[in-house]
Amino acid sequence: MSGGGFARELHLLTFALDREEYGVPVGQVREVIRVSEITRVPHAPAHVRGVTNLRGRILPVVEIRTRLGLQPAAITGRSRIVVVEVHDRVLGILVDAVLQVTKVPLESVTPPPAEVVSPGSDFIGGVARASSRLVMLLELEKALPPPDTELSP
Amino acid sequence: MRRDDGVFRELIDDYLVECLPLAERVADGFVELERRRREGASEDGLLASLQGMLHTVKGNSAMMGLAPAQELAHALEDLSALLGRDGAPESEGGGAALLVAGGGLLVEQVRAAAEGGDPGRTAEFVAQVHAFAARTSEPTVPLGRRGGERRSAPETRPEGAANVVRVDFRRLDAMLEVLGEGLIEHSAVVEAFRRVARRGGAGEEIGDLDRAIVAMEKTMKRLEAVVMETRLLPISTVFGRFPRQLRDIAHSQRKRVRLVVSGGETSLDKAVLDRLGEPLLHLLNNAVVHGIEDPDERLRAGKPEEGTLELSAASQSGRVIIHLTDDGRGLDETKILAEAESLGLDVRSADPARIRALIFLPGFSTAAQVSQLAGRGVGLDVVAGSIRGLGGTIEVESRPGRGVTFVLDLPLTLAVVRSLIVEVDRERYAVPISQVAETVRTEPEAMRQINGRGVTLWRGDLIPVSDGGALLGTGGRPAAPRRFFVVISSGGRRRGVLVDRLMGHQDVVVKGLDRTLGRPEMVSGTTILGDGRVACILDAARILEREVPA
Repeated sequence: MSGGGFARELHLLTFALDREEYGVPVGQVREVIRVSEITRVPHAPAHVRGVTNLRGRILPVVEIRTRLGLQPAAITGRSRIVVVEVHDRVLGILVDAVLQVTKVPLESVTPPPAEVVSPGSDFIGGVARASSRLVMLLELEKALPPPDTELSP
Repeated sequence: MRRDDGVFRELIDDYLVECLPLAERVADGFVELERRRREGASEDGLLASLQGMLHTVKGNSAMMGLAPAQELAHALEDLSALLGRDGAPESEGGGAALLVAGGGLLVEQVRAAAEGGDPGRTAEFVAQVHAFAARTSEPTVPLGRRGGERRSAPETRPEGAANVVRVDFRRLDAMLEVLGEGLIEHSAVVEAFRRVARRGGAGEEIGDLDRAIVAMEKTMKRLEAVVMETRLLPISTVFGRFPRQLRDIAHSQRKRVRLVVSGGETSLDKAVLDRLGEPLLHLLNNAVVHGIEDPDERLRAGKPEEGTLELSAASQSGRVIIHLTDDGRGLDETKILAEAESLGLDVRSADPARIRALIFLPGFSTAAQVSQLAGRGVGLDVVAGSIRGLGGTIEVESRPGRGVTFVLDLPLTLAVVRSLIVEVDRERYAVPISQVAETVRTEPEAMRQINGRGVTLWRGDLIPVSDGGALLGTGGRPAAPRRFFVVISSGGRRRGVLVDRLMGHQDVVVKGLDRTLGRPEMVSGTTILGDGRVACILDAARILEREVPA
C-alpha cells in the first residue's frame, strides 16, 4: 500500500492503567473530564464503578481496570474519566491518568503475543510501538459489550 | 395526492386528532344505547348527540377522500335516524347491535386512515344496514339520499377548539428536561448560598440574595406546576376504550357485564397514562373471566343476571387512586393458601392482607388450576409489575361471594417525585415519600432480634428492621449505631431500614437508569441533588420483596 488516501496512522488518546499505556481511537472519545463525585449504584454489575453528573446528565462510569484483571482504581489527582461512545451508548471509563493524544504508524502495530491472550480477555486488539513506548490498543466494543450481555466477572 | 406527501400527512394527523376521539365516543355511545334500550332506561338525547358526531366524521372523511369511512358514517347516521324516530321499531337485538358493530368498525376505519389502509367490511356492513331498514317499516328518511338541513344534530366540534394548539409530546418532554436542569441548578445555588451564609458572608447583600433566591424558588415551583399541567390528560382517554373492549370480552365469555365509570376527568401525566391502559384492561379482563359468574350462577346466588364493574378514579393529595370493583364471587382465600403451601411458601402466620397479596406473586400465575378456580391469578404479577414500574401500588380487597376491589395508587407524574433524602455510610439515597410510613429515632434498647434478624415494635406491631448499609452493600459495619430508621411500606408490607442521617424532603427530578447499570434491584432511578451529586432513588416495593438478611 502506498500513498492511498487512507490513513496510515492511528490517531489515539492514550492513558495509564497501572504502569501500562493504553490507547483508544480519538474518534471514539467525546471528552475527558476530571473525577468529581462518583455515586455507587447498589447491586450494579461488578465492572460498573457508579454514576456521575455530566452537566445534568447521568453518566455511567465503568471500572475498566477490573475488566483487564487489575485491582479497582484508587482515585488520585491525576485520575480522569474518558467519555467514550461504545455501541451507541455514552459511557465514562475511569483511568489513572490521561497521557497524550498521539499518532502511531499503522505498520508499527502488531498483535499481542498469543501466550498472553486468553479467551474472554481479548480486549487488546494490538500493540503499537512508538520509539521506546508500547501502547496497548484497547477494543472498547469487546471490553464493554452491549447491555444485557452476560459479562464474565 | 400521494400518501407519503408531507402536507397530506399533516392533514391526516389533524383528521385523526379530531375524528378518532369522536369515533370512539360514537362507538361507546352505541354500547351505552344498547344497554339503555335493553333496560328500558331513558335515552336522554343520546342518539341525537351521536348523530352530530357522526356528521362531523362523515364530513371530514369526505374532505380527506376517505370513502369507506365516509360511507360507513353515513350508513350509521341513517341507521341512527331510523332507530331514533318516534315509534321506531324496538331493536329486538337487531338495530342496536348493528349500531354497536358499526361503531367498532368506524373506529377501525378512522384509525386505518393513518396507515392509508382499509380494514374492509364496510360494503358488507352498509348492506346489512339496508337490509335492516327494509325489514323494519318504511323509513321516513330515505336511505342513501338525504338532502336538506338536519334538525336535531348540530355538528360537533371539540370544545374550545380555537384555543387549542397541537404540540408534539416530545417537545413537552424536552421542556421537562430543561426544567429539571433548572431545578437542579437552583438547588445548587441554594446550597452554595448556605455555605456562604454560614461563613457569615457579605453583610447586608446576603439579605438581598436570600430574598432573590426565595423568589426564584417560588417561580421555579410555578414553572414546574405549569409544565406539569401541560402534560396532564384526563384519564377518560384511557377509560374511553374500555366499554367496547369489555363488551367483546363479556360476549366471548357468554356473560353479561355492565361497566360504570366515574372520575374520568381526573388528570394524569400522559407518560403515566400511556402505560396504564394495558394493566387496567388486564384487570377488567380478569374480572369478567374469573370474577363475574355465569348468569345462571348469579341468579342462584340472588344477584342480578348482569354483573357490574365499577371503575373510578379520584385525585388524592398529589396522587391518583383508581378503584376497580366487581360484584362477582370474590377471592377464595382457602384455595390461595393451599396454592401458597404447594409453592412452598410459609403462610402459617400470614394475616389476610398478606394472603391476598400472594395473588400478585409470579408463581401464582402459572402454578396450577387452583388459581383459576380461586378466580384470579392469571398474569396478575405482570399487572403488579407494571403498576410498580409506574411508582404505584396495587392492593386487593375481597368480599367472599360479593366481589373484589383492586385499589391502584399512582403518582400524577413520573418526572418529579417528592422524596426523603437519607444518608447511609456517607452515601445519599432518595426514598419516595409515598413509600415512607414514618421516620423514627433509634432507641438501642428497642432493637431486638429474632433468629438473628432485627425486629422492633412500631405502632404496636413487630416489624423487621434491616441495616441500610447491609441492604445497600455499602461495605463495612457502621462505627456508631445508626441514629434513625425509616419505615418503608408498600403493598401491605413494612420494614424499618436503619440510616445514619435524615437530610429532609425534596422534589427530585427522576433520571432513568442507564442500561449499562443492569437492572439493579432496589433502585428505580437516579437523581441529581443540590450539591451536584447523583443519588439513587430507592424502590421500597422491591426492597420489601427481599428476604430480611440476618
